[in-house]
Amino acid sequence: MNESSNSEWNWDFYEELVDDVEENKNIIQCISCGKCVGDCPASKVSSFNVRKVIAKVLRGDKSVLKDSDIWYCYLCERCKRVCPKDNINIPLLIINLRNESFKKGYGPKYNDLRKYVEMSERFLKSGVVLDEPLGKKLPIERINELNEICNFARIKYVFKASKSNKKSKKSKN
Amino acid sequence: MNTTNLALNLKEIEQLYPENPIEFFRDKKLCLFKACLEKYFPGVRFGIEDFLTDLELNVMTCTNQSCCSGTFFQRNLITRAQFGAINERNLSEINKMADILLFSCNGCYNSLIRGREFLNNPDVRRKTQDILNQLKKKNNGINYPGKYEIVDDLKLKLVHDLDFFYLIKNSVVNALKYNLKNMKVAVHYGCHYLNLSRDKDSIDEYLRPKTKLEELITLFGGNPVDYQERESCCGWGASQVVIHPKEALKITFNKLKSAENVGADFMVTPCPTCLYTLSKPEYREKMRKWYGEKLDIPTIHLNELIAILRGCEEERCITLRRKTPRIEEIFEIITQ
Repeated sequence: MNESSNSEWNWDFYEELVDDVEENKNIIQCISCGKCVGDCPASKVSSFNVRKVIAKVLRGDKSVLKDSDIWYCYLCERCKRVCPKDNINIPLLIINLRNESFKKGYGPKYNDLRKYVEMSERFLKSGVVLDEPLGKKLPIERINELNEICNFARIKYVFKASKSNKKSKKSKN
Repeated sequence: MNTTNLALNLKEIEQLYPENPIEFFRDKKLCLFKACLEKYFPGVRFGIEDFLTDLELNVMTCTNQSCCSGTFFQRNLITRAQFGAINERNLSEINKMADILLFSCNGCYNSLIRGREFLNNPDVRRKTQDILNQLKKKNNGINYPGKYEIVDDLKLKLVHDLDFFYLIKNSVVNALKYNLKNMKVAVHYGCHYLNLSRDKDSIDEYLRPKTKLEELITLFGGNPVDYQERESCCGWGASQVVIHPKEALKITFNKLKSAENVGADFMVTPCPTCLYTLSKPEYREKMRKWYGEKLDIPTIHLNELIAILRGCEEERCITLRRKTPRIEEIFEIITQ
């Protein structure tokens, strides 16, 4: 799972991440105590290891973006709670690393995102993640607003793969 | 600028109304945040809606509210600023009509609180406001009557259903028709309630275990049981159960098995997403196949449980849940 490289120790990667998400600067405080790993649900069932992830980032080892491990995080925020330091936001770091991984085309696999096609479609067409809301539907003006907000987001590209989107394109042609 | 003072100040209400905190809500407009998964568990909504109506409180839902979009943010399908804009749009709409916003779902509650926390970052705040401004500019306010600004001091305050029920626990107990007959109950708080916003400056606040569910179960005449996996995740894990089901359901299995091991009659949770993962028959079947043991412990949302204890009709509190393991059995035991 882990692909480690022999990259030199440097701060470029850390600075890139901090430039992108300022809150990431706090990971410098990590004392490698391992509380995050000991309490992590993902670490119990996969090789996901927050301490190693942070160590790689601080070492400047970009191979962390290729590791499938980062896609196993449950974003449960347990690590954030048990961390003895005050402002290390590990779930936010993981989301940031996943973003970087996406940008470089490393993952997740298409199959993983395919599972989000229907949910994305429902959100952009009706404002909920299930077929129908309980009660009244969201007015079309509000749905249009959600679509405006989501412009250029990945959710729009995932939506493009939906059956109804393909159908409406065909009917237009 | 601090934009995170969104949560309802429970301590202040307790001090102002020590005898009967429900009085604080008498002249307030209460809005129920619509969680998507209430579609599968309507009793989660009806359970609190009917109760508040019976208490003669002013309760409503907001037609203009969308999904909290936490699912999409967690899977990197929208940016922080877009997530923030969706949150601010919802808050702005609900702020216009209500004073208090109640949450039946840990995920929605976490999304709104966290979305606001992100705005403490000036860059995210600027981008979020830019997106909201774009809505106005692009449509010139004609097709889009809602104009959205980030409002720092919203009059709207947020409260999780569990905190709300705990605050007005005497009113809840007074409204019950049945009790739990000393049944053994395992509680599952859910990660986004358990791990949210711990104040690390206060040792007491940081280390003190959360016990509101156990206290409520005791007040309802039940016997809360301690179990090893009490604080563990349900297995949903920001859709991990969809992406990596074998690993995620192992966590679900361990949780349910741990509760069964101590003889729990059922498990109660304040989150419909956890409930979905813990109770879905298809997941139970996969667990049996993969881990070699059939688990049939029933699981129920706190709002549904209160509805049953209040004597609501079966159709109103556990509608559409007939396939959930042994849920009707629990209903029968409580109401017999």
